[in-house]
Amino acid sequence: MVDTQPLQIPRPPSVLAVQGLSLKLTDRTLLKGIELRSFEPGITLVMGANGAGKSLFLRSLHGLLPIEGQVSFAGRPLSETLAEQAMVFQKPTLLRRTVWQNMTFAAPSGSTDAEIENLLRQVHLAEKALEPARLLSGGEQQRLALARALLTRPRILLLDEPTASLDPGSVSIIEKLIRAASDAGVKVIFVSHDIGQARRLASEVLFMHEGRVVEHTPADRFFSAPDSIEARAYLSGELLIKPQTTGSPEQ
Amino acid sequence: MRKMKTPAVLAALMATSLFSIGSMADSIIVQSTTSTKNSGLYDYLLPLVEADTGVTVNVVAVGTGQAIKNAERCDGDVLLVHAKASEEKFVASGYGVSRSDLMYNDFILVGPADDPAGISGSSSVSDSLEKIAVKQAPFASRGDDSGTHKAELRLWKSTAVNPADSSGSWYRETGSGMGATLNVAVGMGAYAMTDRATWTKFGNKADFKILVEGDTRLFNQYGIILVNPAKCPDVKAEAGQKFIDWMISETGQGAIANYKVAGDQLFFPNAK
Repeated sequence: MVDTQPLQIPRPPSVLAVQGLSLKLTDRTLLKGIELRSFEPGITLVMGANGAGKSLFLRSLHGLLPIEGQVSFAGRPLSETLAEQAMVFQKPTLLRRTVWQNMTFAAPSGSTDAEIENLLRQVHLAEKALEPARLLSGGEQQRLALARALLTRPRILLLDEPTASLDPGSVSIIEKLIRAASDAGVKVIFVSHDIGQARRLASEVLFMHEGRVVEHTPADRFFSAPDSIEARAYLSGELLIKPQTTGSPEQ
Repeated sequence: MRKMKTPAVLAALMATSLFSIGSMADSIIVQSTTSTKNSGLYDYLLPLVEADTGVTVNVVAVGTGQAIKNAERCDGDVLLVHAKASEEKFVASGYGVSRSDLMYNDFILVGPADDPAGISGSSSVSDSLEKIAVKQAPFASRGDDSGTHKAELRLWKSTAVNPADSSGSWYRETGSGMGATLNVAVGMGAYAMTDRATWTKFGNKADFKILVEGDTRLFNQYGIILVNPAKCPDVKAEAGQKFIDWMISETGQGAIANYKVAGDQLFFPNAK
């Protein structure tokens, strides 16, 4: 007798799964029922116009907002993965201490001075280890924030426009570290407005518009033939503006 | 001469006129912090005070900073607040006769059960605040110059972070009382510092829980002061002093210790 049951091939859990993610603050719905399953282990870029909800989405993935819905990484709920996550913000909060003390503050037990020195060297701050962190330039502060995040040995790294307004040297250092982290198996989710950077780094793109993910596609396809009208408009530098009911164009 | 009364004082007096049996001479106004009212302590204590002393107490519950300002304007006979440095300044400036320690409780840090900043169980409040700041986890502050707000700012000063740099970002000042601030915190998944008594009585905890407690810097001392009749001639000094004497007496201190919510003692008497 031949078994006619179809062969069941177990599917690996998605790297990132989001079910019904909504965010309401002060009676405004800012994220609207986001559904998402990503099997991409590489770098996920989150793109979209200002106000699309990118930063809120990223903060939601880091447990910083009172969301409705479920988020899981590799099949594990957010409550279990938070300790394995790190996030770098556009404006990092640095302690009013030295560069070195900012690193030791974040150091998990078992980390060594050599590890800290190595990371500071990678972000070109080893020479400034004993300087007050808050006197660093913007680019240096952001590099320190990234080094501090990497010191926690995250399995998931969330980056909210970490290179906005930085000089090309700092951008290059940060991109190199992000790529190295991804190559080492860290899941990276990255918000950026920089299309050139997105082309350089992204494996896949989530495109957001008005609190929703309107496109989720491999990076090469996103940049060559985006599906959504919103993404096409964004990539061609157009602004999608709702029709005005009053006032003149000059206003 | 006693100056124009605030609407809150007038409301308290009107309420008293409906229910008070004692003479107006034995009816006093206490300018108070909110935690003693929100916790239900006055509802428990004041009938005992009236039965023992004949003094009817009308409470105006505002933040400590506002209560002190009201007392400086001669609105009130007794001040009961929790900001020792400000209380001592109030007395040194001649607005108060003398200050007595009354009781203490403690502050706690509360937050969502998921605890994104990872502070649960920490024995150091300054370390916990720094973790919240570095993580940019939302933090709801009273921001109203109350005793709790002042205590919170003192704690931030012991850290390497100035939360004012992030005002409106992860650090949100509500400009409201403790109950309203806790509601905001629950609504936005934010950490908050609160006195334990208000937290115990708070009815909208959702999944929030106490995450940090026990650090000696979270100690919260309450003081009681008679407003100085030399500055404010309308002060009912005799009735006010009767109230203070009862509160710091063995009877009053025992009553404070006996006040419990859900089996928990909220205030710990320590008058000397």
